[in-house]
Amino acid sequence: MEKNYAIKVENLVKHFGKDDTLVEVIDGADFSIEKGELVALVAPSGAGKTTLLMMIGCVEDPSSGTIWLGNEKVYENKWLTKETRKIRREKIGFIFQAHYLIPFLNVIDNVTLVPQTNGVPQKEAESFAMELLEYFDIADKAHNMSSELSGGQNQRVAIARALANKPEIILADEPTAALDNKRSVSVVQMLKKIALDQNVAIIMVTHDEAMLPLCDRILKIEDKKVVSEVVSENGGMI
Amino acid sequence: MINLAKKDIAHTLGKFIVTSMGVGMLLGIVLIMIGVYRGMIIDAQVLLNDLKIDLWVVQENTLGPFAEPSRLHEDMKNTIKVTEGVAKSEGLTFQNLQLPLEGNEVRVFAVGFDPFGDISPIDSTKIVAGRGLERDHYEMVVTDKTGFKVGDKVPLGRDVYSVVGVTHGTVSSGGDPLVYVSLKDAQALQFLYSNARTRNDRERGINALNSHMINAVVATVKEGYSVDEVADTIRTWKHNSVYTATEEKTLLTKNLIKMASKQIGMFTVILVVVSTIIIALIIYTMTLEKMKEISIMKLIGLPNSMIIKMIVQETLLMGVLAFMFANIFAHLIYSKFPKRVVLETPDALVLFVVVILASILASFVAVHKVMKANPAEAIGG
Ligand SMILES: Nc1ncnc2c1ncn2[C@@H]1O[C@H](COP(=O)(O)OP(=O)(O)O)[C@@H](O)[C@H]1O
Ligand SMILES: [Mg+2]
Repeated sequence: MEKNYAIKVENLVKHFGKDDTLVEVIDGADFSIEKGELVALVAPSGAGKTTLLMMIGCVEDPSSGTIWLGNEKVYENKWLTKETRKIRREKIGFIFQAHYLIPFLNVIDNVTLVPQTNGVPQKEAESFAMELLEYFDIADKAHNMSSELSGGQNQRVAIARALANKPEIILADEPTAALDNKRSVSVVQMLKKIALDQNVAIIMVTHDEAMLPLCDRILKIEDKKVVSEVVSENGGMI
Repeated sequence: MINLAKKDIAHTLGKFIVTSMGVGMLLGIVLIMIGVYRGMIIDAQVLLNDLKIDLWVVQENTLGPFAEPSRLHEDMKNTIKVTEGVAKSEGLTFQNLQLPLEGNEVRVFAVGFDPFGDISPIDSTKIVAGRGLERDHYEMVVTDKTGFKVGDKVPLGRDVYSVVGVTHGTVSSGGDPLVYVSLKDAQALQFLYSNARTRNDRERGINALNSHMINAVVATVKEGYSVDEVADTIRTWKHNSVYTATEEKTLLTKNLIKMASKQIGMFTVILVVVSTIIIALIIYTMTLEKMKEISIMKLIGLPNSMIIKMIVQETLLMGVLAFMFANIFAHLIYSKFPKRVVLETPDALVLFVVVILASILASFVAVHKVMKANPAEAIGG
């Protein structure tokens, strides 16, 4: 494998349905993302952004193609492991538009759930979770339930959860859509810092043009293919 | 490791406990039903045990005196007494009576015996007030369930009886409260008709019936003699049937057990099935309410085993809680039942095992739902 690729996709195809109801969403995607890169995924609604993310996240079955996550080839016309969930909990962090925290767990339990499932001792998982919560300035809510937090606080907890298993890849599907502009910028800056500090590859779906200058690169879905663009110079860092 | 079941239940504790209580009351009724059955079996044997005799002699070809009517002449007790191997023998009568009490009627089962005879059906340790019978006429010993007290006057037939003693825990094989009267009084009540009827009969040429009848002769066997052999000796004389105490007990309980165990067994099975279905429905509903969270847990990579463990643990806990409430409920109300209810620990333990198995079964539907949940749907909508 080529060096430093966190994600590499070759000739990835995804269609839903059959015959009359056949919908081709992705028709031969080829791209790769390096460790430490924050990449924006931009396309109109219904173009297949979520579908693409979910295939990389080993949630949605592709129709054909190849997917590498790090050095591991996980998909080649079929999943190469029965334990796609193990890949998810060990290598990937997910962030969505909604926080999707488990309502019957408090903040710290939500953040430590996946690491503890991975076998990290409770104490260790909790001290790392507290570090993350402190980083996101929400440590004082560690023992609150998600229902007691504001939308922005919950989203920060959700990001902490995505980082808690020290993932190699973060898949963020419109993480800022529910936030105001100021908070959106701060979340994306946070993601950028995480990508650099922890050498994590991040794909972030966004509709918000203002976020693009903060990213290293832009992927677009055009004509069922994925194309890569550099960030235009006039954006720059805020 | 985080225990998901514990956290989820803590989140909906009130609802979980109230639901368990409801199921617990159903299971409590199961315990009571089994208790009623146990009570019936015990009731059936009280009178036999109190008598402490070895042999029952009854009218020939009958299963008397309880399972079938039986009539013998009173002098049969003398014939039995002189039989080789017999120590004591007495004649007894048995009949159902309605006694008037404060405007109501109490249904009782009356035992007639000779107060001066060798064998008494009253176990003196069960007398809680007053004394046993000491006169040949118009005295009555009653069991406390009848509601009578020592000194009460009870008009019965042509006479008024005085309550001289109260026993506790004595019932007929059918669970009716027992009263004891002298053999002479009992014969008058059972075999003599009213003056008008007697006069009427005489005019029609029917002579007054002989009142020296009894329903059974009971006897004990001398030490050194075998009960079965003495029974065989008496049997050889025709005109009577003989049962050993063990055979009489079997006669009384066999039919009862056959009937009651079917009846109560059916109720018990139905209630357990209903409880299982209710637990299954509750757990299924609880699972449906968590479908979104379950999809998310699958999406972020939790293995099925963790989620299934949560469901099964919740179901088991509901079963255990319901079982505990069942026992509390049953012990609170069992003494309020008119007939004997006996709650036995082994029965409760069997029910516990059944409830645990039923809970595991009940979780299957929900577990199936969990297995089918699609993680991709977590983020849809
Ligand atoms: N389970 C499915 N069955 C059929 N079609 C689907 C399914 N999931 C998504 N699609 C279709 O795939 C296309 C891409 O969907 P999606 O990836 O959600 O788009 P985006 O996230 O870019 O808005 C849409 O046209 C959608 O209707
Ligand atoms: Mg989408």
